[in-house]
Amino acid sequence: MPARRVYLDNSATTPVDPRVAAAMARAVVEVFGNASSVHGFGQQARAAVDRARREVAALIGARQNEIVFTSGGTEANNLAIRGLCEASAVHGRHIITSAIEHPSVSGVCAELEKRGWEVTRLPVYENGIVRVEDLLASLRPDTVLITIMLANNEIGTLQPTREIGSIVRERRATGQKHLSFHTDAVQATGRLPLNVDELGCDLLTMSGHKLYAPKGVGALYVRRGVRLHGQNVGGHQERERRAGTENVPGIVAFGEAAQLAREEIEQRSRHDRALRDRFEAAVRERITDVVMNGDRERRLGHLSNISFRFIEGEGLLINLDLEGVAVSTGSACSSGTLEPSPVIRALGVDDELARGSIRFSFGKENTEDDVDYAVEVLVRAVERLRALSPLTPVVVT
Amino acid sequence: MPYSPVFKDHLAHPRNAGELPNANAIADETNPICCDRLRLSLVVKEGRIEAARYLAYGCPPTLVCGSVLTELISGKTIEEAKQLTRADLLNAIGGLPSRKHHAAALAIETLNSALSSVA
Repeated sequence: MPARRVYLDNSATTPVDPRVAAAMARAVVEVFGNASSVHGFGQQARAAVDRARREVAALIGARQNEIVFTSGGTEANNLAIRGLCEASAVHGRHIITSAIEHPSVSGVCAELEKRGWEVTRLPVYENGIVRVEDLLASLRPDTVLITIMLANNEIGTLQPTREIGSIVRERRATGQKHLSFHTDAVQATGRLPLNVDELGCDLLTMSGHKLYAPKGVGALYVRRGVRLHGQNVGGHQERERRAGTENVPGIVAFGEAAQLAREEIEQRSRHDRALRDRFEAAVRERITDVVMNGDRERRLGHLSNISFRFIEGEGLLINLDLEGVAVSTGSACSSGTLEPSPVIRALGVDDELARGSIRFSFGKENTEDDVDYAVEVLVRAVERLRALSPLTPVVVT
Repeated sequence: MPYSPVFKDHLAHPRNAGELPNANAIADETNPICCDRLRLSLVVKEGRIEAARYLAYGCPPTLVCGSVLTELISGKTIEEAKQLTRADLLNAIGGLPSRKHHAAALAIETLNSALSSVA
C-alpha cells in the first residue's frame, strides 16, 4: 500500500458523503417497509421516497412526478432510449446521437440499429463538441429521438444542449410532434446548475454515485406528456415505467445527495475548478509534449484530459497507482488488441495521442496538497516511462 | 489476477533501460495489432550475452517483460538464451493475466530476432 493515496477519478465515481451515508443508514434500519404497502410501515417508506423525489426534481428544476428512479445511469439511458423509441416507432425509426456518447447510450443505439432503426452519429471536431448545423442537416421527418449527452465523460466538453432543445421545440411547433430530446447528464448533474425547461430536454439521465451518493441508484427525468414503454414490467411502481420494489435506502441517499448538491453547487464548482486549474498549470510548466484534450472553455470544471506523447496511458495509470494516485484512461489493451479511446479518436488526433490520454477528475474531498502530490508523482512517472520509450526523440547535446 | 510484487518492482524500477552504443545484436519488434513495441540491444562476445538493454512502448506488461527479459538473458550463452520460452518469462514475472500474455510473446519474439542478428 502506498504511503499516500489521492483519488483523482471523481468522474468514475465519487466517495460517499458522510451525511448521505448517515441518511442512508437511518433508512436501512428505520424505513424498511415496502413503499407499495398500504400500512404505516409502507407509508413511511413512501414518504421517504417522495421526499427524495422532490429533492432530485428540485436539482434539475423538474416536477416530482417527472422523476423515475432507476438502478443507475445505464438503466436510465436504456429506459429513455428504448422506451421512447418503442413508444414512437409508429411515427418514425430514425435516431440522431453523437460519436462520443457513453457506452450505455451508444450501445443501445447500436442495438436498435440491428433491429432496423437508422442511427445518425454526429461527429465532433477537434474541440470535442457537436455542431448544431450538422444536427440540422441530419434531422428528418421520421426522426423521433435526438440523444446527445450534456457533458462528455472523458473530456468534459459541454454539448450545445440548449440550442438542440430550442431546435426540437421549433420542430415540434411546426408539425414534427413526435420528436423528443434526451440528454445523458450523468457527468453534469450536481456539478452544473441545471434546469430542464432551460435545456429544453424531454428526458434527462442522472446517476447518484457521481454526486456523492452510493452506487445502485439513478433517475430519469421524463417530461410530462412524453410516452415511454417501460422496460421493467410486472409492477405499478414509478408510474408503470419501472416495475420493481423501490430501493428505498438508495433513493433516500440520492435525495440527500441531491439536496446537498443543490445547496453547495457553487462552492463545490469553485473548489474543483481551482484544483483543476492548479493541476493543469503545473503540468504545462513541468512536463513537455502534452496535449490537453477538448475545448478549453466549454467543458466541466472538475475534469482534465491530457495526452502525454511517447507513452501509453495504461502504463502511466499503473505507475501513478503504485504511488497512490488514482486516475483513469479511456484506452485499454487486452488480449493483444488495443482499443484506443473512441472519444479521443473522435477528436481526430493520432493513435499515439489517443493511446496516451489520461483523465484526472477532481472532487470536493481533494485538496491543494493532493494536487501538488499528484503532480510530483506524475512528473516522475512520465520521465521514467519516456526514458523507456523507443518513441522518445533522442536529444543530441 | 493482480500483478505480482516482482511485476510492480520492475514497473517502478525498470532494469537495463536504454540502448547500447556498441551493440552487435539489435531487434525492434511491434505487435501489429496493439502496436506495443520492444527494442532490444545486446553486446554478444564469444557467444555470450555480455550486456542487454531495452526500450518499450505499450501496456505495463510489455514494459515489465522487457525489464525482466534483460535480467534473465544477461550472462547467458546464445544457445541458453534461445531456450528461453514465454512460460519462463511469465514465471519470472510472477504470472500475468491471460489477456496480457501477448506481452511475453512480443518479448520472446524480439529476443529471438536479436539473437539471429548477432553480427
